[in-house]
Amino acid sequence: MKAGRPLLILALALLAAAGAAAAFAGGKGSSNSAATPQHGGSITIARIEDSQSFDKTNVFQNESIWLLEQVNEPLYTVTADGKGEKPWLATGYKVSNGGKTYTFTLRKGVKFSNGQPMTSADVKFSIDDARAQSKGWGYLDGAIKSISTDGPDKVVFHLKYQWAPFLADIALFANGIIPNHFAGQTRKQFYEHPIGTGPFMWDKRVVGQSVTFKRNPYYWQTGKPYLDSVTWTYVTDENTRALQLQGNQIQVDEFPPFNSITKLQHTPGVTMTLFPSTRTDYLDMQEKYPPLADVHVRRAISYAIDRQAIVKAVLFGFGKPANSFLPPQVPFYSPNAGGLQYNMAKAKAEMAKSKFPNGFKVTMLVGAGAQVEQAMGQILQASLKQLGIDVTFKQQDTSTEFQNIEKENYQLAFSYWTMDIADPDELVEFSVDPKGGGADSFYTSYNNPTVIALSHQAERTPSASKRAQLYTKIQQLAAQDAFQGFLYYSPFRYAYSDKLHGFFVYPLGNYHLEDAWLSK
Amino acid sequence: MTLGEYVGRRLLQMIPVILGVTVLVFFMIHLVPGDPARTILGNQATPARVALVRHAWGLDRPLYVQYWKFMGRVAHGNLGDSLFYGVSAGHLVLQRLPVTLWLIILSAIFAVCIAVPLAAVAATKADRAPDHVVRAVPLVGLGFPAFWVGIVLLLIFGLHAGRLFPVGGYGSGFFGHLHSMILPALTVALGLAPILIRSLRASLLEVLESEYVTTARSKGISEKRVMRKHALRNAIISTVSVLGVNIGYLVGGTLVIEQVFALPGIGQLMINSIFQRDFPVVQAVTLVFAVMVVLVYLLTDVAHALLDPRVRFE
Repeated sequence: MKAGRPLLILALALLAAAGAAAAFAGGKGSSNSAATPQHGGSITIARIEDSQSFDKTNVFQNESIWLLEQVNEPLYTVTADGKGEKPWLATGYKVSNGGKTYTFTLRKGVKFSNGQPMTSADVKFSIDDARAQSKGWGYLDGAIKSISTDGPDKVVFHLKYQWAPFLADIALFANGIIPNHFAGQTRKQFYEHPIGTGPFMWDKRVVGQSVTFKRNPYYWQTGKPYLDSVTWTYVTDENTRALQLQGNQIQVDEFPPFNSITKLQHTPGVTMTLFPSTRTDYLDMQEKYPPLADVHVRRAISYAIDRQAIVKAVLFGFGKPANSFLPPQVPFYSPNAGGLQYNMAKAKAEMAKSKFPNGFKVTMLVGAGAQVEQAMGQILQASLKQLGIDVTFKQQDTSTEFQNIEKENYQLAFSYWTMDIADPDELVEFSVDPKGGGADSFYTSYNNPTVIALSHQAERTPSASKRAQLYTKIQQLAAQDAFQGFLYYSPFRYAYSDKLHGFFVYPLGNYHLEDAWLSK
Repeated sequence: MTLGEYVGRRLLQMIPVILGVTVLVFFMIHLVPGDPARTILGNQATPARVALVRHAWGLDRPLYVQYWKFMGRVAHGNLGDSLFYGVSAGHLVLQRLPVTLWLIILSAIFAVCIAVPLAAVAATKADRAPDHVVRAVPLVGLGFPAFWVGIVLLLIFGLHAGRLFPVGGYGSGFFGHLHSMILPALTVALGLAPILIRSLRASLLEVLESEYVTTARSKGISEKRVMRKHALRNAIISTVSVLGVNIGYLVGGTLVIEQVFALPGIGQLMINSIFQRDFPVVQAVTLVFAVMVVLVYLLTDVAHALLDPRVRFE
């Protein structure tokens, strides 16, 4: 008896500790591992922009893409860390013919939301259609020469050349699988209410107001989705979204402003989560303007950017200074990329080496009404003044700003990127290959033949370790050339009801709502 | 000229006005810098893809060609497809029009319901405490920004105080719409009422001093009846004009309210389509705005004439 008493006390203490740990763990994300998912219920997600289109092959807007991914699924999908791909509608693949032939085996038992089984003919049709879209995402399938089928459950991709990003390209949402020949509809009719294999299916849309998807009864993951329906509404005012969340009129507030994060973290009934993202913000420097063609000037500007001050002022501390044009959530990002960090002494030393040691005048494009750009602009103006660089702002609305950046009718401007695939190739080509990327190196006119050659080599090298070395070199050279000022990495911000569980946003911005559920 | 002839003539006069507005807006929106293809595709699309989209939309054709095609479509009642949504611009506007009409009409009703009794109290108790209170307090509604008033109303009545109203949104069905529109309409009315109160109070003071009112009083008619049957009827004439002008401003001026209350009205559609350079929608919304403003002013003139028998249609 006496020996049993200490054991009992120990057991009770352990139980109490476990209970306390569980209480503190709740509210930090919606993982609540102790809870069992419950079926039923509907959620509403309020966002700042309305969906434009559900044509997965031609739409570039995230607010459309993240929705259509609930309906259409690809053969492989991106992993939760954003750095790889995992089997999805296919269970595996084999590579042959020197890396130029990929044979995918399709998952058995997958059906579209109209009850029709998915076959290899559907896959061939879907991706042939996607790669034919010259105005859309077809360019990412540029390595594919042809697609054939080998029975109802095997699809064979014949590539023009070895292409290292191929699996990442296949996992792109635009390569989601749809019924052969648009299930007998015209293309326009089909994309007004698309059919797919995803956890949800089309219900209704009121343009400019809301989109609702309902549960797909044929979904291949048994028991999922847990939710009956999901509605996305369009609420531009951030205060209104916050009030709607507190009033339980919505369950998810997408992208609350940075200045509200701390308050939301302490709001009862609300979980505020910052999900790592692939968003990177840059200061573009157009090299057609003679001072900015000077690498020492660009390095000086990069050294003069007080990234910590920007993160504090603009992101209220919820971000990280960037050290590469690649974000940390992308494969082959290098923490040793060598992106120039704030150092005014070095900045002045670089200016002294340049052809413009006494400084120069420069204009900076800033979005009219864009508070973030205006705040960043003010900080940069103050920093660059110390180098003798006199910054004048040119305020323009977004449309005019984009147009002037595209026409390279600017000197300094802000831009950003979010990844579409789990491979650095898309961003690297766009950023450092003036012709191959099609955008004159992110509209900066940056042209380093060594970097371009390395990027081409990295595309055709299948070895992951070799690619890692190549991309590290590319990042280091790009940092040394300071073709852009790498500003900061920022997270995806979501505030949601603490009754919502299993809600997780991937670094590419998408979320798998088949895993989400509501507790009563 | 009869009322019918007058209305018919004004409606006919509306046609060249609306055509002129549409032409002006067509050229203005096309000449403003900014490319809809680039705006809609975002900064990650290459110039080659942007050029393909521009070509698909016919935006790379000379402006006079685009204008000619536009006029050809308008002649057939087709305002074109939204570049952003790919659906009929006319359909988009007509879908949103009821929301804005709800807001404008309910706001006007609330404003009148607030203004008339308060102006009557102020006029009958001129220069006394009730008058001072009535003149000062509504200025709060005029002085505070509409978005702030809206947020405060949402906070109080949408989130607390028994959650009497939804936090934004348009609701569904007639009663759902009405329920959702009460707070937004009240927000607008609180800004409109002070102007109506001042106008009506001044008119009432003038009318209450007139001889026929003195005659009515001397005949033993009660003050309430004097106010209702004689004073208000005559004093409200100029206030109707003030109300009409302000409703005209409301058309297109409801953007802030629509944003705060998440109402899918045409104000929000207009501003988004301007930022997106969605030319067909901008043109469609402008056309509807022009028609609405002209109709509001026509209704104001007709109401004025109906209230004041001295007014003749010419």
